[in-house]
Amino acid sequence: MLWYKAWLETRWRFAIGLAILMLSACGIVFAYPQVARLMPLASNIEARGEIGRRVQEAVQLARDYRGYVWSQWFRQNLIQMWTVFAALLGAGGLLSQTSGGAALYTLSMPASRTRLLGVRAAAGLGELLVLAIAPSLLIPLLSPAVGDSYSVVDVLVHGACLFFGGAVFYALAMLLSTIFPDIWRPLLIALAVAVALAIGEMFVRDVWPYGLFSLMNGETYFRTRHVPWAGLVVTTAAAAALLYGAASSLERRDF
Amino acid sequence: MADVPVIDIAGLRKRYGSVDAVCGLDLQVPRGSIYGFLGRNGAGKTTTIKVLLGMARPSGGAARVFGLAADAPDASVEIRRRTGFVSEDKELFDFMTVEEIVRFTAPFFPRWRRDLEERYRRTFELRGAIRVKALSRGMRTKLALLLALCRGAELLVLDEPTAGLDPAATEEVLQALVGHVARDETTIFFSSHQIAEVEQIADRIAIVDRGRAVLAGALDDLRESFRRVQLVFDRDAPQAAFRAAGVARVRRQGRVLTVIASGGAEPILDEARALGPVSVDVAPVTLKEIFLETVATEE
Repeated sequence: MLWYKAWLETRWRFAIGLAILMLSACGIVFAYPQVARLMPLASNIEARGEIGRRVQEAVQLARDYRGYVWSQWFRQNLIQMWTVFAALLGAGGLLSQTSGGAALYTLSMPASRTRLLGVRAAAGLGELLVLAIAPSLLIPLLSPAVGDSYSVVDVLVHGACLFFGGAVFYALAMLLSTIFPDIWRPLLIALAVAVALAIGEMFVRDVWPYGLFSLMNGETYFRTRHVPWAGLVVTTAAAAALLYGAASSLERRDF
Repeated sequence: MADVPVIDIAGLRKRYGSVDAVCGLDLQVPRGSIYGFLGRNGAGKTTTIKVLLGMARPSGGAARVFGLAADAPDASVEIRRRTGFVSEDKELFDFMTVEEIVRFTAPFFPRWRRDLEERYRRTFELRGAIRVKALSRGMRTKLALLLALCRGAELLVLDEPTAGLDPAATEEVLQALVGHVARDETTIFFSSHQIAEVEQIADRIAIVDRGRAVLAGALDDLRESFRRVQLVFDRDAPQAAFRAAGVARVRRQGRVLTVIASGGAEPILDEARALGPVSVDVAPVTLKEIFLETVATEE
């Protein structure tokens, strides 16, 4: 029944995330014909610096449908919104219920704190897995409507990269939720870490190509068709370590 | 097993930062008793309950429930499996309906009493479809009580169960508790600062002040042993220092000297008469007076 409670607690956050991501995936597919029409004009764009380089790269990638989907969906829209919902789903929990007093009711159940946290973590990760894959599955489903096709295998691999790479943000929000008794600080700190990493990654991209976000967007798989196993193992281990930290922190806490 | 206390607390200490919430509490709650845990706000009642249920770790001493150490994680799970609990603020899951929170709670407890669930739902007029968030404080208390009573628990731990209720709702809750104990031979350990309700249902009490038990025992024994000895003089009452044991408090007011004795009146009567009063009156003491005198003595 802890599953049931975890689901009831997070269902609206999950449902809103799913709806937004699905709408966004539809938008990506149905915007492609217009993007394809604008392609001849894009070669005249002149821009300098990192932003200019990224614009030129996006234009190059958008010349074929697979490149367009990766650059607009897996590298931008999905990864950004999914990270926000990872932090949102990870924030909250037992400690944030303390101010309302409901934490004592949960703690009066014959279940260990590790089990309470474990079930909540598993439920949240399950929801995040759905958010990483289900909206993207609309792309192969809807692509024939714009006269193109997209591989389901690509969706699954990119979804796995996003999930196993980005689970660290969820785990970080969970760990912070065992320290701060509100939902906002864990959410904001986890997002601030994500933004800092993304900005840092953008500037060191040429000298250090192994950033977390390029792992999450599956760039290696997109360019070489190789799954970045080593990176996924490292981030999964990091997420597991953060969850272990969360369980230890919760175990020590007085309510 | 009958002699083993359901709750056995020895030298319990709990410190939050620089504040001692509980300091050296000793307490034994016998099986089958209704045990009132009396004290002022901040006396350490809620902290003690949290330690018993594994919600807070003791800083020292020992707390055992059913013979199990309350601070051992596995034992604590077993303690909670056999215990019903109502928290002081009666906060439950606002995002659930009455039906959902009952369905959530029941599977945790193998001895869940479906018959009691139906009975209390009728008695307390709790409709399943209503959201917990929409319940009044009184209805929320009744729901919390239903969720505790239906667990088939051997022990009920209730933290201020009637706090914030009107007299009619208080009476309804107290009657439900007494009826439950009479039927199911459950032990009840409840904290309160409502002396009247403790007097109404408890058979044993402990008065706790500043984290220590300052008085504990069977309520009838305490009522029997506490006496008020009132001496009236034909002049201003003299300063008196009684040597006899069991003098809880001496108060002078004009021509009247009042002595509260915790070990019966006999030991101090000889000393009292030697002071030359015009009259000596011995009277029983109410629980409220015992509480006030005990706590005041600690000031």
